[in-house]
Amino acid sequence: MSASGGRAEHDDLRQVVRRFLAERSPSSEVRRLMEAGESRDDAVWALLAGQLGLTGIAVPERYGGAGYGPVELGLVLEEMGGALLVAPYLATVALAGQALAASGDEDAMARWLPGIADGSLTATLAIAEDSGSWDLAEVTATAEPSGSGWAVTGTKRYVIDGDRADLLLVVAQAPDGPGVFAVERGAAGAAGVDSGRLDTLDLTRALASVTLREAKAVRVGAGQDTAAWLSRVRDLVLAALAAEQLGGATRCLDLSVGYAKVREQFGRPIGSFQAIKHKCANLLLDVECARSAVYHASEAVAGGDPDAPLAAVLAYVYCSRAFTQAAKECIQVHGGIGYTWEHDAHLYLRRAKSSELLLGPSAPHRTRLAELAGI
Amino acid sequence: MTTEDDDFRARLRDFFTAHHPGRPPKDPRERLGWTKAWLATLFDGGFAGPGWPREFGGMELSFAHQVIYHEEAARARVPGPLGTGLNIAAPTIIKYATQEQKQRWLAPMLRGDTVWAQGYSEPEAGSDLPSLRTTARRDGDDYVVNGQKVWTSHAGDADLFFTLVRTGTRESRQKGITYLVVDAHAPGVQVRPLRDLTGGHLFAEVFFDDVRVPAKNRIGEENEGWRLARTSLGHERAAGALNQASVYRRVLTELEELARERGQLSDPLVRDRFVDLEIRVRIIRYNAERTIGGILARGEAGAASSISRLLITAFEQDIHEFAVDLLGPAGLLGKSASQAVQRSRWLLGFLRTRASTIGAGTREIQLNTVAEQVLGLPHDPGMPPR
Repeated sequence: MSASGGRAEHDDLRQVVRRFLAERSPSSEVRRLMEAGESRDDAVWALLAGQLGLTGIAVPERYGGAGYGPVELGLVLEEMGGALLVAPYLATVALAGQALAASGDEDAMARWLPGIADGSLTATLAIAEDSGSWDLAEVTATAEPSGSGWAVTGTKRYVIDGDRADLLLVVAQAPDGPGVFAVERGAAGAAGVDSGRLDTLDLTRALASVTLREAKAVRVGAGQDTAAWLSRVRDLVLAALAAEQLGGATRCLDLSVGYAKVREQFGRPIGSFQAIKHKCANLLLDVECARSAVYHASEAVAGGDPDAPLAAVLAYVYCSRAFTQAAKECIQVHGGIGYTWEHDAHLYLRRAKSSELLLGPSAPHRTRLAELAGI
Repeated sequence: MTTEDDDFRARLRDFFTAHHPGRPPKDPRERLGWTKAWLATLFDGGFAGPGWPREFGGMELSFAHQVIYHEEAARARVPGPLGTGLNIAAPTIIKYATQEQKQRWLAPMLRGDTVWAQGYSEPEAGSDLPSLRTTARRDGDDYVVNGQKVWTSHAGDADLFFTLVRTGTRESRQKGITYLVVDAHAPGVQVRPLRDLTGGHLFAEVFFDDVRVPAKNRIGEENEGWRLARTSLGHERAAGALNQASVYRRVLTELEELARERGQLSDPLVRDRFVDLEIRVRIIRYNAERTIGGILARGEAGAASSISRLLITAFEQDIHEFAVDLLGPAGLLGKSASQAVQRSRWLLGFLRTRASTIGAGTREIQLNTVAEQVLGLPHDPGMPPR
């Protein structure tokens, strides 16, 4: 029954993150980074990692992290989603960090998690290829033993922060089935690795194509049941992304309500008209349902509940729709001003639609939900 | 869960098991007696009114124990309360009635000895309830009541009507409304069953023709009734939210089973409709958990509780319509047709749930309320003040 009845420490964490983002990642900063094609502001990243310790939030204490889990990470992502923070946080912490922490591979964790925790290392997880799907069956990249390590060949698409991440965790087919292979990239890049940022809808989050030609790699989680591990990782990622979507949807609601209170037409605030009121109340309904779904999923995933896979995909499917709906309604409530480049509404629409499709087309997620629910 | 919680749960479970009244009789008169007997058993055993003060026969439980109470009642599938008094009138009585009135009314209501029904809505006063016209004129120690109420459920079984009547001028709106309890058996009270769109008679019209009501049946001061009518007892209702969620869960599971039996689940379009309902039914539960969790942790129900009714009413309409769609022409068969599916429950539900977004405040009015009270949007200046 703890479904975010809310612990005081969570309220504190939320307030700290919210204040930090309001100061250091206002819309003007988001736009500056976006227009410069940057993936982060170094000073903000340093504070976020060092002073606030947010990069280490889901990293076990023995690797220099705070040792929290999906609940606290979700809370941070919710705030970041609301602020549209431009930073390699989702990829580094929620994708690669959680994947490593769940790998059971002590060498890999000791090698990379401390860097993720202190913010010195950025990382990402590369699964999807041409279809955009995260289904392991669609992975065609290959990994062959090479010397003391492995050589990975293939092309990964839609890799979040794939153009700059220091560490790429690449899913590829090894002779014994799918596995995860770590490719390190220094300042000068890595031999056999080419990447380029894609021109995509969401200007606040970089997606890249990564081409690997016999790139030198270290296998992660060699003794593991890869399918089970990556299935756990998928739950963690779904819950994390849903939390970020919740934050975005909440901000769209807040922007809409705020504007409806002050914008006057026909001599009165537009929020006094029932057409606008009902729109906003229906958005609140979506947002509150999204919140319930996200908090339930975070806790289920954190606790490793049998219900976790279903709870996670449910949260993601629901939040995908809710965020996009909220972003569209936000534009509608704002009317003409909401259609301008200067207004932030389109940034949320871009983020919303992109997040909805970030882990592949939406239909397979719904099909998976049906299977998990026994329908 | 503490040991104390476990003990409490065990005591409830034992009581419900030992005294469960079995299946309800088909005949409506017999069923009324059966329900009353159950309520008396509960009351006499000290297991009635989980949130009520002890002084009036209630259990005065903590919120956490109220949740347990509702869970166990649902698990045991024991009959629910009779009439609308318990949920709607009792909070007002407990908070605003005189000691004498409380003594006179509360325990018999809780014990099922008296059945209470609501007299608020009128033909010309639906969403705009403050425009109600039923009048009460003071005459000595009595009020003389004239007018018409509508959409009263349990009117035929009722012993008392809790009503809102006009004591102020015709234009006085909420400033001229008084809360009055009317004896259903008094001369001049006439109940006419109202046939609703389902073809059934769940509701009635109630006519008052020079009905004399003693002034000692007035709750609160004259013209103070509007404020009193809007009383709720803290978070009492939220305690049952999980059970409500379980009911919808069960209904959806039953529909899924029906579709499976009929071989319809292999159709991806059908499956996707189920996915939609599956998401919603689970979120109804998560919302209930979050509301209850919020009350337990910080004494606040939060915004999730304010939208739960909007969510639930849309869900019950959609699931029944979807069921009828699934069944095709067989979904149109009435109860007496030999090939009716599950005694026509889905079709009846499709019709019955039209009321879900009308009764106790239309969906449109509720959206207004949420927009103004939760989101703080401005009141429509074209509408009278709240």
